[in-house]
Amino acid sequence: MATVTLSNVVKRFGAFEVVHGANIDIKDGEFVVFVGPSGCGKSTLLRMIAGLEDISGGEIAIGGKLVNDVEPADRGIAMVFQSYALYPHMSVEQNLSFGLRMTGNPKADTDRRVKRAAEILRISELMDRRPKKLSGGQRQRVAIGRAIVREPQVFLFDEPLSNLDAELRVQMRVEISRLHKELGATMIYVTHDQTEAMTLADRIVVLRAGHIEQIGRPLDLYDDPDNLFVAGFVGSPKMNFIKAQIVGHDARGVVVELAGQEKTRLTQPLTGPAPEPGSKVIVGVRPEHFGNAGEGDTDLIVAIDVVEHLGGTSFLYARTAHGEDVVIQRDAAKVPTTSEVTVSIRKSYLFDENGLRLR
Amino acid sequence: MRNRNATAYRFLAPYLLIFSVFWVWPIISSFIISFQATRTVPWRFAPGFNWGRLIGDPAFFNALKNTLLILVIQVPVMIALAMVMAVLLNSPLLKARGLYRFAFFAPVVVGEVAYSAVFRLMFSLDFGIVNKLLNSIGLPKIDWFSNVTPAMALIMIAVTWRWAGYNAIILLAGMQSIPEDVYEAATLDRVSKLKQFFYITLPLLKPVIVFCLVLSIIGTMQLFTEPFLITERGGPGGGTETLGLLLYRQGFRSLNFGYASAVAYTMAALAIAITLAQLWLTREKQ
Repeated sequence: MATVTLSNVVKRFGAFEVVHGANIDIKDGEFVVFVGPSGCGKSTLLRMIAGLEDISGGEIAIGGKLVNDVEPADRGIAMVFQSYALYPHMSVEQNLSFGLRMTGNPKADTDRRVKRAAEILRISELMDRRPKKLSGGQRQRVAIGRAIVREPQVFLFDEPLSNLDAELRVQMRVEISRLHKELGATMIYVTHDQTEAMTLADRIVVLRAGHIEQIGRPLDLYDDPDNLFVAGFVGSPKMNFIKAQIVGHDARGVVVELAGQEKTRLTQPLTGPAPEPGSKVIVGVRPEHFGNAGEGDTDLIVAIDVVEHLGGTSFLYARTAHGEDVVIQRDAAKVPTTSEVTVSIRKSYLFDENGLRLR
Repeated sequence: MRNRNATAYRFLAPYLLIFSVFWVWPIISSFIISFQATRTVPWRFAPGFNWGRLIGDPAFFNALKNTLLILVIQVPVMIALAMVMAVLLNSPLLKARGLYRFAFFAPVVVGEVAYSAVFRLMFSLDFGIVNKLLNSIGLPKIDWFSNVTPAMALIMIAVTWRWAGYNAIILLAGMQSIPEDVYEAATLDRVSKLKQFFYITLPLLKPVIVFCLVLSIIGTMQLFTEPFLITERGGPGGGTETLGLLLYRQGFRSLNFGYASAVAYTMAALAIAITLAQLWLTREKQ
């Protein structure tokens, strides 16, 4: 097991910089997820840790040892690819043992490692099959097995579940979580799916356009986002954003008025410097933070467009009087039957014009 | 549905007519002719006349030996060379890849007569560049056209020059269809580039290699142009006469169509048999 440290890591393709000075400290045995939209540089960062991409600037250390110029095979890592990257002409057993056989590892040790990996992943009965005879989930297990037999210090996963259907994805997510507990290894996992990130990670690194937006534990990111991007990216359905304006201060904090709705004001306590009255801000409200009328700081009338019933909960897709779309979470039993409903805002977040959180 | 089929066949009729007259009928007709004595007037049915002669004809066995010799030596060398060319073309270090790809493919589109004439000039005894080069490094001149072994070598060099690039392009296409991340996984597994070639590239390219081999086998069985034009009708003294040339000589110079048809059917049967044997040997073992 090992720590992984990225210091000011930069990646350029020609003159085009795709990762702008990433600093991440990953602890021994930690499960860290890099999450962000397509093209944010998360896979590039992972491939730089693996050694499959050169590092244009900065330093990467694994287990305290600088690995910038170390060959991929000597970094003590194993990687699971999005496409599985199995050797199509080899059986499962050969896929698992190939690397060890090619490097002259003793046969008894190779057999032991392959057997152990097969048992951990419950693929012992598939050993003679070729990849094309396996289902997507089984192929993914073999790909993970190939990583396990290397007994690496760090596991790297590059969007390993994105080719699976929704049900299998949930199942494999649980398996990977179980594997992390069982092996206790450091794991770095790349995904664009915030649900995967939230459910798997000890810590999440949110990336956008090659910049790290925030690093933190899943619930910290959810409850205390640093900026508009993280607030919007983490959580499903995403946080609602309503345009607003600072109208003054009172003893409890700064007073905000929602755009186009003179009577809808809420007070937000701030410890930092408060913006001047008249400043444009954005109020963020998570779907579950809308309460019944009178329950929160302020009430808001919304027109309901669509109601989605998910069983225990329902989501109301609605519009404010100012025409802004909002999603409201309700217990299934408490879904209003009228086309308009008054809701209250029980908890909200304030962001300045540049998208930075006002705390 | 029947009406629709009938309409389809009416549209296909012009093609089917030409296909039947110039393709199907010659195949059937030559099979029938191969059982006829065609040196007599009128032709008469005599099954042993051509097929019996084939079994004891030294010219046939000479042509067969030459053809198989070219097949056994030239085809593997050409495919190996094509593989090397494909690996080089696939290298990320290579600049101006398109230019090389065109250059390797160009021999196929060069006219056969033109290329044969150039080869005759290049290998000419007195003023050919090849002999000049041999002389310049202290080796004696070789009379490529008067001795059997050099003449056979010349045929093999010419055929290889003409078709190696073509096969390289096919192999390159196969190589480029192997996903990059399979190699990345092998790199992480500490598998050297050489082992990656032998344990990943070659096995995954097997269907493409088999395809190239089958095409080359069929091509060699029909080999005609090079021995006809470069070594002047299979010279010296039939030393480079192939089955294709024997067929031509019998059919169109001696006008012995029955025997030429028997040779043609033997060539086709051999090509099929060798191809089937090769497909069987390289079949996917599960």
